Formats: sequence, structure tokens, C-alpha cells
Amino acid sequence: MSQALSYAIPGLPYGCVFALLGMGLVLTYQTSDVFNLAFGAQAYASAVVFFIVVRDGWPVWAGFLVAVVFGAPLLGALLQAVLYRHVRTQPPLVKLVASLGMLIAIPAVLEVAFGADQLINPPSLWLSPSAIYLHAAGATIDGTELSTVVVTAAVALLLSLMFHFTQIGLRMQAMAESPRMVSLAGVNAEGVGLASWMLSSFLAGLAGVMLAPAFGGLQSISFTDLLVAAVAAAAAGSLKSLPWTFFGGILLGVAEELLSGYLPSGEILSSGLRPAFPFVVLLGLLVFLPRLRKRWARSDDPLAGCDPPPAPLSSSTGGPLFRRASRGTIVLLAGAFVASTMTWISGSWVFTITEMLVFAIVFLSIVLLTGMSGQISLCQAAFVGVGAFTAGQLADHFGLSIIVGMFLAGAASAAVGVVVALPSLRLGGLALALATLAFGLLADNIGFQYSWSGNGQSGINVPRPQLASINFTSNRAYFLLVFVVLCVCIAVVRAVARGTTGRQLAALGGSELAAASIGINPARLKIIVFALSAGIAGVGGALYASLDGSVSSSDFNTLISLVLVVVIAIVGVSSIEGAIEAGVAYVLLNTVLTNDLPTQYSSLLELAFGAGVIVYVLHPEGVVEVSKRFVLDHLRRQPDGNGLAT
Amino acid sequence: MTALLEVRNLRKRFGGIRALDDVSLEVRANEAVGLIGPNGAGKTTLFDCISGVQRADRGRVDLAGERIDDLGVYRRARLGIGRTFQRLELFSAMTAREHMLVAERERRGDGSLLKDLLWKGAPRRDEIARVDELLDELGLEELADAPIESLSLGQGRLVELGRALMRGPRLLLLDEPSSGLDSLESARLAALLRDICERRQIATLVVEHDLELVHSLAQRVYVMDFGSIIGAGTLEDVLGESSVRRAYLGDEV
Ligand SMILES: Nc1ncnc2c1ncn2[C@@H]1O[C@H](COP(=O)(O)OP(=O)(O)O)[C@@H](O)[C@H]1O
Ligand SMILES: [Mg+2]
Repeated sequence: MSQALSYAIPGLPYGCVFALLGMGLVLTYQTSDVFNLAFGAQAYASAVVFFIVVRDGWPVWAGFLVAVVFGAPLLGALLQAVLYRHVRTQPPLVKLVASLGMLIAIPAVLEVAFGADQLINPPSLWLSPSAIYLHAAGATIDGTELSTVVVTAAVALLLSLMFHFTQIGLRMQAMAESPRMVSLAGVNAEGVGLASWMLSSFLAGLAGVMLAPAFGGLQSISFTDLLVAAVAAAAAGSLKSLPWTFFGGILLGVAEELLSGYLPSGEILSSGLRPAFPFVVLLGLLVFLPRLRKRWARSDDPLAGCDPPPAPLSSSTGGPLFRRASRGTIVLLAGAFVASTMTWISGSWVFTITEMLVFAIVFLSIVLLTGMSGQISLCQAAFVGVGAFTAGQLADHFGLSIIVGMFLAGAASAAVGVVVALPSLRLGGLALALATLAFGLLADNIGFQYSWSGNGQSGINVPRPQLASINFTSNRAYFLLVFVVLCVCIAVVRAVARGTTGRQLAALGGSELAAASIGINPARLKIIVFALSAGIAGVGGALYASLDGSVSSSDFNTLISLVLVVVIAIVGVSSIEGAIEAGVAYVLLNTVLTNDLPTQYSSLLELAFGAGVIVYVLHPEGVVEVSKRFVLDHLRRQPDGNGLAT
Repeated sequence: MTALLEVRNLRKRFGGIRALDDVSLEVRANEAVGLIGPNGAGKTTLFDCISGVQRADRGRVDLAGERIDDLGVYRRARLGIGRTFQRLELFSAMTAREHMLVAERERRGDGSLLKDLLWKGAPRRDEIARVDELLDELGLEELADAPIESLSLGQGRLVELGRALMRGPRLLLLDEPSSGLDSLESARLAALLRDICERRQIATLVVEHDLELVHSLAQRVYVMDFGSIIGAGTLEDVLGESSVRRAYLGDEV
């Protein structure tokens, strides 16, 4: 018993931080319908600002004012004003991408600005982290832990007073019931929304600054992991109840420490389970708590019907002549492109181009899943990884050429896709996204760490294949292989898109209820599309593995899944061209810009990313569709010459 | 002759609210039946329990003598229950024509992933012809390829009706088909529905506030209030009953 206590007590401060972040999530979700996955990043931002200011000689209280009291709410208000305000009535994908974009962009910008490596031993807010203040049941309680618990308890008390007795608190509660009702009652709903964003961001900033000393160094990834637990806490409160979220967070922090105390140390299962544990909890809550599923699936605002319908993510089509002409152009361009790559383009560029095509295959799998049927997966990198490691292990142990291995890799990924789809059948929208995120974390932290799978950070070697007399160690030969596979994948996706399955998928994405009402079996269809999508991702993974010659688990971590979804969404998730252009853009930004430009320009990349997300929120159909429409409108206006008149 | 749809003692609660309280009714083949009652009476909940969107707490539903209340929505649709929705459930990002095409393919039930991959999945000529015919009938031919978001509420309801019809139902559940239409449009809709259902031999159960439409469409009506059926018969008879007048029209009799 006392041993259990000694494990549990160090979990309390973590639990407090989960609780603070979780309450922020619930608050903003209720008032503005956005599930802000970027709170972890905001916590990190406050911690960094606090660090910098205090390091530069300001007193701690001034740092606290700058970083938490003013800075954090300001950031929240800014995000709301520039970004989240626009996504309220948009489809789940747009909401998700907006917050994912910030989750990625905020830490990236900060790291470029302040240099992540130098931020060690963050100052503590109140009590000294190295001093032991209490001994309880065999556990020692240091200053960070004590101050976190005390401050959190005080904040919780103040919050509950605020919600019960102040006008703004009551209005926030009313807003949670129905924002439209609140505006009808003459209250400035925007103002109340803004206030809730500032309050939630303050909680996030406070959590970040308080917990920072416990991490030893400021790394954005530890803060992003915090959010994972905060999401589970929010789920424990059914995304509605602040008290339940609070207790859920505390309980989770304690359970996490208990778990790592009792699990045998030094094994992959125990070291990997800890970061994934909150999401295992979340997955359980999602699958077994019907109330939560419903709440996440659609808003239950009694006046929700008054909202304009979400903008369609449809693709524009020109006339038949335009289509025929553009098809001809595409074939010509592709021919010229292949010919050039095979002859005069330099070897290192051939490698880069091949990498683009590999990623085009990966993005194609997201176009199929998310673009065509509206299902959001945040574990696509894990599917790619399953393919890469399947083909790699087969090549390593049995000398199987990846030309054959690629098919088995696709089959293995498809099987995993089915496994992921099965528990997620009754989930939709954001809930599905979070469930797949949970799976991605499990794959990343546990699945890919074994020597028989991904072999962790050390990874495995995957030789290039040989077919008869063609040796694919030549980059040009390998390019040709990848090009052919990409064409086959495109043909498959097009065949699905124009056929029965494609129309069923579009129907499912449009309205699952109505799709079922005409006899479509949603469960079966989801399993099919997950299997197909994961299969294509797996084939891409096999090609990726052999392109580079070696792969490790860090090539497929969860953050990459998130980046992939954000990139394809920005570029255009509803068309096959989108996948190709996203492949080009991703590789350009990821390798070419970062490797070939001097480091002071690398912040451009993150800025581009953030700007891309903002543009996306305003034009959710994606950059490709927007520019295509622009060109089409332009062409249409030319003949009659009176474009200005209309 | 047994009824096409037989609902027996359905009960459904949401927390403390009795949305359905021992509801029984039946619809015979080729018959058009009205279901009227004030807002919150439980009409939509009844439709949900018949079509499988909700499971009733108690009671049973039979379609053509076969018990269906433990089947999912799509299984019931395949057995011949078609419906429209009070709050529109359109396939965003699909045109009206595509709505009909997907339903037509479901009716035939001959599509498969394998056929798609063999490049045989595109709409066939006879499917397109049938779809065009229905679009004509509904007066949607002009709007067939317009983005679905650009349609008015009334046009959206027509698309939902067309989608349900294209699936080839035996029983059609219509939830307030005329809301969002003006009186001229709703008169046209009544004629259209009568014509289509007679010709295709479809039974209908229609929830409607527009009593004119109910009168011209339905041979008999049920009246619901507070989750119970409080009256049944021809519209004239039912409206003569004092309990109905009190509940539905708020008359002080
Ligand atoms: N999903 C639900 N959760 C809770 N209450 C519901 C739900 N659906 C309907 N109700 C309640 O059940 C009653 C009947 O509603 P409904 O069937 O929509 O009535 P009608 O269609 O006759 O206007 C109403 O009081 C409504 O508030
Ligand atoms: Mg209703």
C-alpha cells in the first residue's frame, strides 16, 4: 500500500497539468466548437518565454506576468482571431488541420527563434525544484511538485467560483449549451468566446511554466505529449464537465506513474506504454462511452440547424474539351518528365524526384481515405512504417526482393488497416482522428521498437532490389520502378473513385446516416477504405525503405503522420493531382530547403507552414483547387471579353 | 391481408422524456397514411425506430410479416424501407444526379470493388436513363449537376425524395416533406407524390403539418401527442374528435 502511494504521489503534479490543459480543451470546445490540439504547444511557448525573460535577468514575477498572465492569453486571442474564428462552421478536417498546424508551427518557430538546445534547467516559478519539502509514504516531494499541486488547487477553486458566481462565467456556461441562443439573447457571443480562449490559454501557459523544471530541458515534444493526456482527461469529462475533466486528469497522472512503477523497467512494453497510456485510456473511453461518441460526432446545439452548411470540398471540373486537353497535356508532361529524369537530370536530383514520387504514393493513400470518404486518419505514417518494415525484414532475413516484398508489405499494412478500422467503426470525425492517433502512438512507441519489426532507433537495412539484369541500385532505374508503381496506384484510386465504391465513399463522407438509409453498409465500407488506404501507404513504405537503404522507427513517428495530413490538406485532399503536388512540396520543404539553404532561412519553412494553414482555413478546398478555379475562371472569361462586366 | 408495416407497442425514452409511449400502428401495401401531431410529439422518433436510426426500448416492428427491429439501418433499407429526413441529410460534395446514381446502384446491388478495379464501375447507360427519368419527374433536370449546396431547402427535400425513390422502396417514410415550400410548391408536391406512389406501388407514411397536403395525399391519418397515438381515422373524423382538437389545434372545446 505504501509502495503504491510512493509511486502515486509523483504522479500528482503531472495529473494537475493534465487537468489544467484538459479544462482548457473542454472550455474552448464548448464555447467555439474547436478542439484545440495546440494547447501543448502553447504551454511550451509560455515556458520558453518565461525561460528567456528570467535568463535575461528579469525577476521571476515579471517573467510570470509576461509569459503567463499577458503572453499566454494574448497568444490564445491571436489564434482565435486569426484562425479558429473561421473554422467554427467548417467540416471536422478543417478544424483539425487548423489546430494541428499550430501544434507543429508554434514550437518550430520558437525553436528557430531561440534555439532549442540551450534551454536547459528552466527556472522554477515558485519553490525550488531541487529542495525537498515533504516526505510522504516513502516519496519525496520537491518544490516543483508541491507548487504545481498547490497552484492547481487554487486555480480550480477560483474557476469554480467564477463559473458559479460571475457573469462571464455564467455566460460561458450558456455558450456551451448553445452559442446561437446566447447571441439571440443579446450577449456578445464573440466576446465570450474570446474570453474563454484567453482563459484556456492562460491555463495552458500556467501548466507549461509550472511543469517545465520537471522536464530538465525545454523540448517541444514533451509538451506535445502532455496534450495527449489532456485529451484523455477531457474525454473523461465527456468534453462537457469541467469537474470530471479535472479529476480525470489527476487520476490519469497518478495511474501513469503507478503503471510505470509496477511494470518491469527496461522493457520496450513498459517504456513505450507510458507515453501511449493516456491514449489507450482515450481509446477505451471512445469505444465504451456512447455519450462521448455522440458528443464528438455532432454538436447537439438545439439551434445548430441554423448554421450554414459546411463548405463542400468538391473539385472543380471544366468542360469536356478542357478535360481532354488537360489530359493530353498531363500525358505529354509526364512523358517529358520521365525522359528528362532518365537522361540529363543529375543523380542527386533523380534521388530527390524519386522521393517526391514515393511521398506522392503516401499522399494518395490519404486522398483515398480522407478526400474521398471524409475519414480522418492520424496514423498514416504508421501504415507506411508497417509496409517499410515488412518489406525490409523480408529482404533482410529471406533476401526477398522488395519488388515482391512490396506486395506483401501492402497486404500487411492493409491487414493492420482493418485492425485499426474495427474498433473505430462507430467513430466519426474528430473521434476517429483521435482513435487513430492513439494507434499511431502505440505503433511508434511499442510496435516499431522490437528487433523483429522496426528495431527502434537503430532501424534496419533494406537493399535495393535486382530484377533479371536490371540493378536498381542505380537511381534512374529505381526512379522508373517508383514511377510505374505510382501510376498503378493512381489507376487503382481512379478506378475506385469512378466506380461503385467511390460513390459509396462520397456518400458516406457526405452523410453516414443517409448512406445507410439507401442500403450502404457503413461498417463494411469503412473497413474496405481503411484497408485500401493502408495498403497503398504500405507499398509506399516499402519503396521508401529501399530508396534510402535503411529505415528506423523515427522515420514514421506520430508527428510525421500529423505533418502529412496537414500538408495534403493545404495542398488539396480531394484530387489525385493534390497527392502529387503534396509529394513535391513535402520533399522540397523537408529536404531541399532545410539541407541546401543557410540555417537562418529555415524559419521561412515554419512560417510558410503557418501561413499555409491560415490560407487553408479560408480556402478549405486546398491550394490546387483554388488555383485551378482561378485559371478556369480566367479561361472562361476570355472568349466573350467582358469579364469585367460580370 | 397482413399489413406491410406493423408497429406494436413501441416505447422509447430519452432520460425522463417519453418520446414514444406504447405506439402501435400499421400501414398496408400501396396505402398512404398521414401522421400528424404537434412538435415534440414523437413523430420523428417513431420514424427513427422504424428505419433503425434508433432502437426502441420495447415493442416490435414488422415489415411484410418479418420482424425487423433488431436490424441495422442499411439492412432495413435493403428490405424496402426508404425515408427522408426532417433535418436534411444530403451527401455534401455530390450533385443531385450523383445522389440518384448511387441509390440506383444500391437498388441493383451489382456493384463491387472488384468490378471497380476492372474499370467496370462507372454508371451504365440504362442507369443514367432511369436517373434522368426520375430527375425529370421531380423537375430537377435543370439542377441535376449543380453543387448540392446551391439548392434551396425545398429542392433539397426533392433530392432526398428522389434518392429514396431510386432505391426502390416498398414503404416510404416522409418527414415533413413540404416544410420550406410555399403553398403552390407544396400542392405540386402532393400531386407528384400521389402520382409516383400510385404508379410505383409504394406505401407511404408521411409526417406533415400542412393539413391540405395530408388531406390530398393520405387516405387515413394517425394523430400523436406526448408520445402516444391519440386518434386514428380519416382526417375529417379525426379533426372532429375533441381530444385531437385540444392537443393539436389548441382549441378550447
Ligand atoms: N436524441 C434525443 N435525445 C433526447 N431527447 C430527444 C432526442 N430526440 C428526440 N428527443 C425528444 O423526444 C421528443 C420527441 O421528439 P421528436 O420525435 O423529434 O418529435 P416530433 O418529430 O414529433 O416533433 C421531444 O421531446 C424531443 O425533445
Ligand atoms: Mg419531427
